[in-house]
Amino acid sequence: MPLNRDVLWYKDAIVYQVHVRTFHDSNGDGIGDFQGLEGKLDYLEELAINAIWLMPFFPSPLRDDGYDIADYNAVHSSYGTLEDFRKFLGSAHDRGIRVIIELVSNHTSDQHLWFQESRSSKDNPRRDWYVWSDTDTRYKGARIIFLDTETSNWAWDPISKSFYWHRFFSHQPDLNYDNPAVREQMWNVMKFWLEMGVDAFRLDAVPYLVEREGTNCENLPETHDVLKELRRKLDEHFPGRMLLAEANQWPADLRPYFGDGDEFHMAFHFPLMPRMFMGLKLEDRKPITEILQQTPEIPPSCQWSLFLRNHDELTLEMVTDMERDYMYDMYAGSKTMRLNLGIRRRLAPLLDNDRRRIELMNGMLMSLPGTPIIYYGDEIGMGDNINLGDRNGVRTPMQWNGGWNGGFSTAAPERLYAPLIEDPVYGYPAVNVLRQKASEHSLLNWMQSIVTVRKSTTVFGRGSIEFLYPANHRILAYVRRLGNEVVLVVNNLSSTAQAVELDLRRYKGNILIEMFGKNIFPRVGDLPYLLTMGPYQFYWFRLRRI
Amino acid sequence: MREMIVSELSQALHEMARGFAHFLPRIIVMLILAALGWVIAYVVKVILRSILRLVKLDKLSENAGASQLLSKAALPSPTEVLSRFVFWIAWLGFILLGVSVLGILGLQEQVARFFLFLPRLFVAMFIMFFGLLAASFFSRAALLAAVNANVPSPRVLSLAVRSIIIVFVLSIVFEELGLAEQTMLVAFGIAFGALMLGLAIAFGMGGRDLARRFLEKKIVRGKKEANEDELSPL
Amino acid sequence: MLLEARLHDGAVFRTETKVAEESYLTDDFLRQLMNVGEVDILVGLPTHNNAKTVGSIVHTIQSGILRGFPRERAVIINADGGSRDGTPELVTGVSIDDVRPASNLQALRTLHSISTKYASSSRSASGAFRTILAAAELLRPKACVVMSPESANIQPEWLSKLLRPIFDDGFDLVTPIYRRHKFQGLLITNLLYPMTRALYGLRIREAYSPEFGFSGRLGSQFLGQNVWSDETEGAGVELRFTLAAITGKYRICQSFLGDKDRIERRAVDLVPALRQTAGALFSALEPDFPVWSVVTGSQPAPTTGSDQEVLLEALRVNRKRLREMFLAGIAELESVFQSILSPSTLAELQSIAHLGEEEFRYPAELWVRTVYEFAASYQKSVISRDHIIQALAPLFRGRMFTFLTENRNASAGDVEKNIEDLCLVFERLKPYLLQLWKTRE
Repeated sequence: MPLNRDVLWYKDAIVYQVHVRTFHDSNGDGIGDFQGLEGKLDYLEELAINAIWLMPFFPSPLRDDGYDIADYNAVHSSYGTLEDFRKFLGSAHDRGIRVIIELVSNHTSDQHLWFQESRSSKDNPRRDWYVWSDTDTRYKGARIIFLDTETSNWAWDPISKSFYWHRFFSHQPDLNYDNPAVREQMWNVMKFWLEMGVDAFRLDAVPYLVEREGTNCENLPETHDVLKELRRKLDEHFPGRMLLAEANQWPADLRPYFGDGDEFHMAFHFPLMPRMFMGLKLEDRKPITEILQQTPEIPPSCQWSLFLRNHDELTLEMVTDMERDYMYDMYAGSKTMRLNLGIRRRLAPLLDNDRRRIELMNGMLMSLPGTPIIYYGDEIGMGDNINLGDRNGVRTPMQWNGGWNGGFSTAAPERLYAPLIEDPVYGYPAVNVLRQKASEHSLLNWMQSIVTVRKSTTVFGRGSIEFLYPANHRILAYVRRLGNEVVLVVNNLSSTAQAVELDLRRYKGNILIEMFGKNIFPRVGDLPYLLTMGPYQFYWFRLRRI
Repeated sequence: MREMIVSELSQALHEMARGFAHFLPRIIVMLILAALGWVIAYVVKVILRSILRLVKLDKLSENAGASQLLSKAALPSPTEVLSRFVFWIAWLGFILLGVSVLGILGLQEQVARFFLFLPRLFVAMFIMFFGLLAASFFSRAALLAAVNANVPSPRVLSLAVRSIIIVFVLSIVFEELGLAEQTMLVAFGIAFGALMLGLAIAFGMGGRDLARRFLEKKIVRGKKEANEDELSPL
Repeated sequence: MLLEARLHDGAVFRTETKVAEESYLTDDFLRQLMNVGEVDILVGLPTHNNAKTVGSIVHTIQSGILRGFPRERAVIINADGGSRDGTPELVTGVSIDDVRPASNLQALRTLHSISTKYASSSRSASGAFRTILAAAELLRPKACVVMSPESANIQPEWLSKLLRPIFDDGFDLVTPIYRRHKFQGLLITNLLYPMTRALYGLRIREAYSPEFGFSGRLGSQFLGQNVWSDETEGAGVELRFTLAAITGKYRICQSFLGDKDRIERRAVDLVPALRQTAGALFSALEPDFPVWSVVTGSQPAPTTGSDQEVLLEALRVNRKRLREMFLAGIAELESVFQSILSPSTLAELQSIAHLGEEEFRYPAELWVRTVYEFAASYQKSVISRDHIIQALAPLFRGRMFTFLTENRNASAGDVEKNIEDLCLVFERLKPYLLQLWKTRE
């Protein structure tokens, strides 16, 4: 199945997020690689996803899981060669799967040649590629993001005897985007990959590109200028490619990153995700509807990107203190599960491995407006290992079968980049692809069917949303609509059976057709439409006037 | 002569014996009726008593103050009074029935009249009983309300309420009994009129006072409340 | 059960408000309850034409819930007696939900605020309390609290103070303690508190109050009791509730709230107040006889917060009028008193009625005997029970006069001591009541 030519392809996409290191090891060195990933494309095609988001695979000292890049135009030797990547890309495209790669634009590794030159002397031509200062008192308004490890945004460089600016780890110096040479170089990097055929970039940490005194150094107009310039060049030379913003901000602050449709195509909706978990625990739709009410309209060509879990901690930056305390108490009872302002756990353990809740959350992910992203392993309900430091607990090897190393690698277990999950509940003997493929009612097969149903209509990716507010606050109900196509989604956030009366008078005369089983439900009349919902149950109905 | 006497005597005796023989079954019937009547009346009494206990007549009349009335007259509880009354009426009815069987002239007519009168008597007593209850209850209610509202002359008010109700009840009772209807109507008309007049005068006299107080209160109220704190009992 | 039944017969589809035959909850209210679902905290708010105050009260309740119980599922249930000033709309208008996101309150979850009209056949507030208990029965809260729609001094903390002991410490009933003026609530200090204490053996200062907290299980148990068809027509049902908690051996504590309004906006009339307190207490004595007849002495109830204290500022009270009404009662109601009081007590009352204003005293012991004889006569129904309660009013005014006179210059400690002394007289004379009780006719 070749790629479709729709320039709005990202609106209908189902994205699978994976790190090449974690997926499959083809050469037995204990680390996943591109040949391994390519070998598993059939699996992804079967899962019916149509885009892959690859986490950084560039040469790197790997002190931040590859987000500390030492060379933008190459592949890390552990993962294979540039040629391996090219082959993988071709195979993916052959299957109708697009590939999104990372562009860590804000900072490089301190091992990057650019930084080595920049720090070597104050007169070096690349000195100006990074943000240097004689004092560590500038830009005091900027918050420190990695509270658990960093104490300042400035770090002392003993070689050039001055401070350099870093918003993340001190081994990740920030590039100086006030320098036109840096901007030009970053476009060259993009061009390199675009020419190879890459479909989209996820731009990491975009709010922090430019610094200005007296501000919090986030979301500055100058940053937007840089981004708009990149977008203009992209549209000019590579139409149909896409930019995805990672900006952990409130919806109103995120809105400028879409510009007038001339900046980013997509951006992550960070505040929604914790509120989905919160609404589920509270058995109350209020947190979810409230944040979506506060979400501004975006230009027609733009799209939100939704996710339940990803490679980072479940971030709680975009919630109030009261909400954060609640989330910690409910979802991270043990202190070791917390990291920075978040919870470092996977989907299944967060939801107590409750199949009904996992399905409900995925149901909401797939039916709320936006492009859903599935984090690798969550489709089979993989667990985490909170004993591994930082966020490595949610980055353990993919569990393919119950055999040697879970089918991930033929290497000796101690040589793996990280140990497999081995506990009795989530361990690879219990939770693996092979076993779930064999079972008709497995989570994997269920995920495959919901992805297929979601893809059966464009209304989820492109339609408008209108919330119904039934008096029963445990029920989250909304109508998705695109032209004549109308879909009603009803979610029961409660652990108990609920009755709900929906005001569907606008749709009087329509027949409801449940989208999974294609069964017919009673016609909408003048009276409130009564539905009874089992615990954590959800319905997708297509409304049809026949 | 002697024979005549003997024959007359024997004839008289004969007659008497015949008459007695003729009469005896009736007496026996009467006695049987009386005995049967006693049994039936007793059963009716027991049934009525348990019904009245079930509907808590005693409590009702206690609340209304009728029990006090009865106890003052050295009478037992209303349940007892009513059931005994029914017993006697019923038994008396049977005895009279028996008497009528004797076929004594004139008596029969009286018995018939008695039976015709019985239901009216019953209704009249019923009305009288509850009328008195109501009179006593409402007069007390008026008394208490008047005292607690600090209205002058509460007892006059209470007496007036009681009198009006009793007069009214009595007029109904006599009407029911059909006793000298015309006379009674006139008599009560006069009594009622007099009472009303008296009350009007009494209220007029007291009302003068009341009206004065009311006006005083209206005018002086503002000043008074500013100086006085209201205590809440709760 | 009820909920399910209504669901299945399709009644939920009907939109008009109609009382279902088998229930005193309207279909519409039932639908609202269905939407609220199970809660942790239920706040009951009985109202009747309280539009002036209810808005701020509801806001205080709301912030009390958000501060004290941000994570708990809560609901405010307004039982309205048919207000015509828009009270129910004021209550329901402050729901916190996603339909009206304008609220600037930080709230985790939806806070429903629903209203219903209770069956107004009964003249007192018992319909309201019954409606609240019925709602609690269906919503199964851990803790409930009833709040007055009129308290001017209500603070958000009151909610926590009334609910925390139930939530955290497993109490079943939390009665309030207020800081009052020494002459406020004389019916409580001179009759209700000493008598309940002497009879039931537990020192609960405010056994009858417009604000109190209780556990779901106590509410449920009380709802099933046969107090609703009582001849008192539910007057003082809150007092019956407290007494039921004592007799049922539930865990009771007192919680200090703060200032009680010094002067009620609507001065409560004495006779209705007597019905709600003395009437309810007297009518409870008959069913509770097995309990109170064996109690001797009294135990203090566990109390949280600062202790009972009284305010001393000067008050201008028309004492003369109190005495006048006492004298009028003695003079006019002799026939009534004859059926209620013993001849000796009546004679003593008549003799103090002859005293001049300066010497006039209604001694504690005579007052206690009066009250006990009233209670016994009430039980025997010597006359209409309501008349007995009404007849107590003039005598209580005499007692008020004496209390005001005796404590005119008393310090807080003195007042407290005098109340304590009165309590001890009530306790000491309890055998007299038992004796009266046994001489049934």
